[in-house]
Order: sequence, then C-alpha cells, then structure tokens
Amino acid sequence: MRRSGRGAWPYLFLTPAMVLFTLFLAVPIGYTVWLATRRTKVSGLGLGRGARREVSVGFDNFSAALSDAELWHGWLRVLGYGALVLVVMLGLALLFALLLDSARVRLARFSRIAIFLPYAVPGVAATLLWGFLYLPSLSPIRDVLEIDFLGASTVTYSMANVAVWGGTGFNMLVLYTALRAIPRDLYEAARLDGASEIQIAVRVKIPMLTPAIILTTVFSIIATIQVFTEPSTLRPLTNTISSTWSPLMKVYRDAFVTGDLYSAAATSIVIAAISLVLSFGFLRVVRNRAFGEG
Amino acid sequence: MASAHRLKAARAPWGVAPTGLLLLGAIYCLFPVFWVLIAATKSPAELFSTSTLSFGTGFLDNVTQLFAYRDGVFWLWAANTLLYAGGGALLSTAVSAVSGYTLAKYRFRGRNLIFNLLIGGILVPSVVLAIPQYLLFSKVGLADTYWAVLLPQILHPYSIYLARVYATAAIPDSLLEAGRIDGAGEGRLMYQVAIPLMVPGMVTIFLFQFVAIWNNFLLPFIMLGDDGKFPLTVGLFTLLQSGANQPSLYNLILTGAFLSLIPLIALFLTMQRYWKTDLSSGAVK
Amino acid sequence: MRANRLGAALAAVLTATLASCGSSEPAASPEAAQSPAAAATGPVKLTYWTWAPNMDKIVAAWNQEHPDIQVTVSKQAGGDDAAAKFLTAAKAGNPPDLVQAEYQHLPSFVAADAVADLKAETASIAGEFAEGLWGLVTLGTEGVYGIPQDSGPMMLFYREDLFDKYGLSVPKTWQEYADAARALRKKDPKAYLGTFSSKDPGAFTGLAQQAGAQWWSISGESWKVNIADEPTKKVADYWGGLVKEGVIDDMPYFTPEWNKALNDGRLLTWPSAVWAPGVLESNAPKAKGKWAVAPLPQWNAGESFSGFWGGSSTAVSSKTPNKAAATQFATWLNTDPAALDLLVKEAAIYPASTKAQSALGQAPGYFSNQPDFWQQAATVSAGARGFTFGPNVGVTYNTFKDAFDKALQNKTAFSGAVQAMQDATVADMRKSGFQLAS
Repeated sequence: MRRSGRGAWPYLFLTPAMVLFTLFLAVPIGYTVWLATRRTKVSGLGLGRGARREVSVGFDNFSAALSDAELWHGWLRVLGYGALVLVVMLGLALLFALLLDSARVRLARFSRIAIFLPYAVPGVAATLLWGFLYLPSLSPIRDVLEIDFLGASTVTYSMANVAVWGGTGFNMLVLYTALRAIPRDLYEAARLDGASEIQIAVRVKIPMLTPAIILTTVFSIIATIQVFTEPSTLRPLTNTISSTWSPLMKVYRDAFVTGDLYSAAATSIVIAAISLVLSFGFLRVVRNRAFGEG
Repeated sequence: MASAHRLKAARAPWGVAPTGLLLLGAIYCLFPVFWVLIAATKSPAELFSTSTLSFGTGFLDNVTQLFAYRDGVFWLWAANTLLYAGGGALLSTAVSAVSGYTLAKYRFRGRNLIFNLLIGGILVPSVVLAIPQYLLFSKVGLADTYWAVLLPQILHPYSIYLARVYATAAIPDSLLEAGRIDGAGEGRLMYQVAIPLMVPGMVTIFLFQFVAIWNNFLLPFIMLGDDGKFPLTVGLFTLLQSGANQPSLYNLILTGAFLSLIPLIALFLTMQRYWKTDLSSGAVK
Repeated sequence: MRANRLGAALAAVLTATLASCGSSEPAASPEAAQSPAAAATGPVKLTYWTWAPNMDKIVAAWNQEHPDIQVTVSKQAGGDDAAAKFLTAAKAGNPPDLVQAEYQHLPSFVAADAVADLKAETASIAGEFAEGLWGLVTLGTEGVYGIPQDSGPMMLFYREDLFDKYGLSVPKTWQEYADAARALRKKDPKAYLGTFSSKDPGAFTGLAQQAGAQWWSISGESWKVNIADEPTKKVADYWGGLVKEGVIDDMPYFTPEWNKALNDGRLLTWPSAVWAPGVLESNAPKAKGKWAVAPLPQWNAGESFSGFWGGSSTAVSSKTPNKAAATQFATWLNTDPAALDLLVKEAAIYPASTKAQSALGQAPGYFSNQPDFWQQAATVSAGARGFTFGPNVGVTYNTFKDAFDKALQNKTAFSGAVQAMQDATVADMRKSGFQLAS
C-alpha cells in the first residue's frame, strides 16, 4: 500500500455508504438532537386545535435526564447485568470458536449451526420462550430445580442467560470467521516446534484474534448498554422489573407509553454519549490495537 | 490432510473433551428451540394443561388454522419478510463489501474519519432512530412503503467492520499490485480480484444481515400502517396483541414462530459450505 | 430499472430532508378540503386502523352498499402500542382516516389534536348510547371525539362447580368476597379465590369506578386530578390487605401462568368485563359450562354499581380530507342494526349501542349454562358509573404498574401506590402546562 492514493476511486467506492449514512443516520440523529431541545406546551385544558404547541427549551430535557435518579439506578443495574453478559457470552464465544477451529472436533458442523441457531430467534420470541421456561407452573426446569427464576435476586441472572443464549452464536461466528482468515502455515510452524493444540490456541490464535476480540467486546458493550428487549418482554411476567429498569426502557417508555418524544430524544443522546465514553474508554485501555493498522 | 497421524497423536491427552464441550453448548442452545417445536404441536386446550415436554396433537390443526387466518395473510407476511430480509441483506452485503475493501486497501485523506463515523453509527440505539426516521420518511411521502423498511437497514456498522477485517486478511496486497502492473483499472481490480476473494466473508455478512432484518420488529412496526406490507414479526405481534377483549392466539404465534425458523435454518445450511474454503491458500480443505 | 428508481427515491429523500431541515411540524395539508364525496375523481377511499377480529368482513358489507365510499381495513396490534403508533402517524402527518380508539386513550388523541370533533355530524345519534358511555367520547366537553363501539361493564365470573364443591356462596359484597377467600384457603391451600394483577390498570380503574372514584374532571378551563381519592384508596387497601394476608394471589392476568391456573381450577373467580367469555374460552376451553356470572360484589349491601374495563370507539382523524365520508362510515358501523349484528357475530364485541345490547339473544357458547347472560350484562351495564379519563392516562397507567409492582415486592400498603399514581400524573400535567385546579 502506497501513500499516494488512487485519486478519486476510494471516495467513489465509499459514496453509497456515506449517502446511506447521511440519510439514515446523520439526518435522523440531527433531528433527534433538535427534538431534544424542544417540548410541547399546552394551555388551559389542552384539548382541541391550537391548545398545544412546540416550544424550544434549550438544555432542559438534558438536565432533566441527567438529574433523574431513576435513570442512574438503571445504569447501575445495566452495569451489573452487562458485566455478567460480557464475560460469560464472550468467554463462551471464544471457547467455542477455538474448539470449532481446532481440527479434531467431531460434529463441528452440527454444533456450529446449533450454537448459532438462537441468533435466528427474534429477541422478543427468545425472551418469551425463556419466560415460559422460567414460570413456576409451566417450566420443565422448575420440576427439577427449586429456584424462583424471576425473583428480585435472580431476575438479572435470568435475563443475562437469555442474552448469552441469543448472542454467543453470533460472536462465535465473528471470531470463527476471523480465525479462518489466519494463515494456516502459522499453526504448522508451531506444531513442528512441538506446541500442543492448547498452546497454539493461547500463543498463536488468541494474539492473532486480539483485534476481533476487542471489537466484539466493544460491540457487545454497546449492545448491553442498549439492553431493552429482554427486560421489557419479561416485565409482564414478574413484578421485579420496573418500566425504567434499563436506560433504554426509559426511552421507550417516554416515547411510546407516556408520549414524551422530547425527553426520549434527550435521554437517548445521553445513552449514546455514555456508550461512546465507555467504548472509547475500553479502546484506550487496550491501546487502540483494533483500529491500528487495520 | 497431510498431518493426519500427528493429529491422532495429539488427540490423546484431551480425548473427547472438546467435542463434549461443544455438544454441551449445542444442547443448551437447542433446548428452548426444541421446546417451541413441542409447543407448536399443542392445541389451544393442550397448551396450558398438558406437561410441557410432551408432544401435543394439534400441529396440523395449528398449521391449517394459521394458513387460513384471514385468507392466508401469513404467506403474504412471509413473502414480505423474504423481500425485506433478502433484498436488504443483498444490498447491505454489497455496500459493506465495497466499503470494507476500500477502507482496508486504500490510503486516502479522511480514511480513519470515515471509518470511525460509519462504525460510530452503532452507538445510537435503533429504538431511538425509528421515530425520527419515520417522521423524515413521512415528510417525503415514503412512509408506509417497502422502501421505508428496506433503505434504513442497508447500512450496518458491524458489517462494514467485518468486511474491512476480512478484506485486510484475505486480499494480499501483492495481488493488487500485480493487477495494477498489468494495467487493470481500480474498478476492475475490485470486481475481479477483491470481491471473489471476499466471498466467504460476504456470506457471513449476508447471513448476519438477513437474520437481523428478519428479526427486526420496531422499524417496520413504526413505518408500516398497511397490514399487507407487514413482515412476519409485526404480523405475529398483531396475533399476540389482538385487543383487550380478544385472547392472544398463543397456538398460532408459537406455530408461526416455529415455521419462521425453518427458512433461516435452511439458509444457514446452504451457506455452510462456503466456509469450507481455506482462505490463506484458496484451497478447499 | 430498479437501480434507477432507487436512485430517484434517494435523491428525493435527500432534497426533501435538506429542504425541511429546521421547519418544525410537517406541513399539514391545507385544512381538509371537505368536498362532498367523490366529484369526478371516483370513489372516496378511506383507511381504517383496527384490531377487532374479522373487521374486514364487516367492512366488506359496507363497501358493497356504498360504492362511492370504499373503506380499507388495516389490522393492527391492539393495546398501548397501537395508541402510540397512531399518535406518531398523526404527528408525522399521515394517519389513517379512521382509527379504533380505546376510551382511555381518546383524551390523549384529542390533546394531540389527532382526532376530529364530530359534534355536528353526531347530534342525531347521541341518544342511542348510555350517558356514561357517551361521556367517554365527549370527555365532559362540548365536543364529540368518537363514536362508541363496544363497552366492558364489569361482572364477577366464578367457577360454579368449584363453589359448590367447597360450599361457597356467591359473594354479594366485597366483605363476603374476602370471607370466601379466607374460607377457601382453609379448605384447599392450593386454590385461590382470585388474584390481584399489578399489570392491568384497566381492571383496577374499573373497580375504582365501581366504588365511585372520579380520577379526572374538568371544571371550567382547568383539570382536576383526584386519583388518590377515598374510593380508590379503599379499593387499593382492600386488595392490598387480602394479598398481604395471603388469601388472594398476586399473579398478573393474561400470563401463561394465569392461563395454567385457570385450567387447573386453582383460580375460582375473575372480576372481569363482559368480554371475558372469549378469553376464558380460548384459555381454558375445558372448563366450558362450569363458569357462571354474577354482578360484582358491592361495597354496601343492596347497591348495584359497576365500572368499565376496556371498550373502544371509532374516531376520525383530524387530518383526513374526507371527514364527512369517514363520519358516515363510523356512524353506520356503530348504529346501523345490520352492522351491529355483524359486529356482535364476527368481531365478538359487546356493543355500546343501547338498542343492540338489548337485542342480544343467545348467551355465548362458553356460558350456555347461563341463558340469561346478556340480560345480566344489560342490568350491570345500566349500573356502571360514569368516568372521565385525562389527557395523560399513559403516565397514570404506567405508574400503576411500577408502583403496584413495588408495593407487592416490598409488601407496602397499596394506598401508597395510589398516591404515587396521583403524584406522577399531576407532575406530568404540570410539566406540559395543563391548567390544574387545586
């Protein structure tokens, strides 16, 4: 690769992506920011024509979002949940990817499709499914184990389980695809040096995988910050999940249940900003290896 | 497989443990799916009265009932889903592959900025975007059209990232240089050299996108008013939330959910064979 | 070809988004050119969002008779999401012409200026509905914002066979209901007389109505919010006490768990609305003929009050260019004898129209053991108390769920949850700028 570019070619190639980015991300995001600075004001009874108008309120919605104690409790809950999901899900994904990649596993194809299959189940359906399995009088698991899966102390684990179930296969495939891109001769060389499969995995494969691991971590951090489907689908089945359990649930509640689009917009920008800080913080910690010489 | 006997020797210390671990994972993942299969065989009467792990007798009835529901609207929803997921995933794969290749193999001003911008899109939750997107689509009269569901789902940060990583690893710079020395244009290089090498990665991206669009609920829910344009997720949701004085049609939902898994499994099985290609050498294992 | 069209679409989006940056509301189409239907342009075309089953069949009957006004049904999901979706569509400027609106959501539609005032067009039909129901579409104002379609007067559904088995008699008062709940627990520790659902604010609202609650009211140019009134607190603490005592279960309605309990005969009563037979039939088909219906237990012996749970109206969008035609259809749908007949048969609703209510003959199949089912319903319906919903029911109902969940979990008094509902509702109305009477 030479520094002298190829003229306009790269820009031409990137045009479709940039047009789509502008239209379907940048403009809507800009619109969201604009909405976040506004609010409806009604006068009198607020009924009928002209009783309601949109006014600009500057940063009021943002300061309300930032000073909302319930939102910060939501962050704390999500932090605990997220740590659990990240460690278990990515740990399993990495383990399975390495196992699949090692030449001596039988039934690899079957396992690969089986582990990926949950990803094909829509989040709502997956949660509903597990919900059925958690309910005391319906669950075949409850016949064996005497645990209240939906109690105040267990519900976080139950939700994390749904996320792990649904997400492991996806991350496994990402890591597996990255593994397949590593030149095989590297392993041959290590084998000739007498390294065992485990040693190859730890000393050759995992270092080569680092950028992919970092990025799956970043993406998973963002996904867990945005956790929404699992708690909101389980909510009707238990009284341990409030409508503001996670920050994104509060956004949904504001936008769709209580009809306050403006607060929802402000809160969502706060969420995006915190996601940005956390993911860049993480990248800092791992020294930007992923974005380096891509 | 030149190293067959060496492999056999290496197998001894660990034995069947790796296979066992993988199978455990597979069972964990399959169990709830198996449960849907069972639930889909139960008639409404059996659903909440018979043991959860025993098959019911109503599968055919459920299927007939589902297909007959509102003159077979299930098929329309399935066809719509196929259009959204298939069309969207194809476009998305094309855009991702071209962008990923460009970002991996060219040096140009603003490369990192563009990459970070495109990837940064993932920071904004889709719940947040759905309403502004809807309001904007409405302004240009495209709300409640097929485009309204198709267009916003083409660009996907994760896919672009994957394409870039894949292109970096799979396309040797030397090959591109050789092509340039032979006088090939940049467009031809991409079309004839880069894209064929990226096929296995593109298959993964296609699969991810297909599944993601197939499962997306909120965007079509907001965008579409006409129930003839609904995808399966939104359609089945109307069965679940069928109004306060109407019971949820659990048996139809479970059957529908199960049936909608079948095309995905079929797709996955078809796509499997592309992964056999050993990338580094281009040889088939 | 496809690529060209795509390109054209993209270009259109781009120019339009650029052009409209900064403009606040979508440019509403010039105020409803209320042309009398169909000049030279062919039939008027109307879209109708509803979740009532088989509505397309009922509309087909209309379309056949009215070639100049053709209605297309778009079947939506019901519930709170449906209201949010309609409001979003109205805000964006492309709502359907007609929409099914649950009574509790109608005020928020009115407040968002999403539905039209049909006062002039409906003057002649107001008398066809009971006063309490008509109040739900006028909100106690001069306007008329929808035409009542169905209603849900509340009654007590109970397992007749199990009542006999355990030697219980049908409770006439809530005191007797509580006694029966205790008696049952002694006889069978696995069964409950009933359950309190912290997920169904509609049911609780109906029970509060029965006790005489008036959560919102309009006086002059201001709203009065009185959710934590004495009747509501009384109802809340009654159920709270029973749950705490352990004689009433706390599992929510409509969950798989609840279905299972109904099937297993572990729940003996359900204070519900007239539409309950449909739900019971599909969730517990085997108990057919074993359920019976009675009026709700009363707070004072000898009274005969009830409340409403559920029910909806047909509203006309304020943005429709064909208001007259849409109103004509909505009127036909909810007052024409043939249409009402279809609504009862095909959509299985309990009609709002008084005449249609008394015309109901044969009891629902699930209640074939109770031939006077509809007569009972009509009597109960007459005793249902009027109620006005406020412009932010979404906030109130959502707080209900959160606050009662919390009260159940922490075993605190239910009246505290009622106070939380009041506080959240008032705070939200203040924030929006509604005029509130102190």
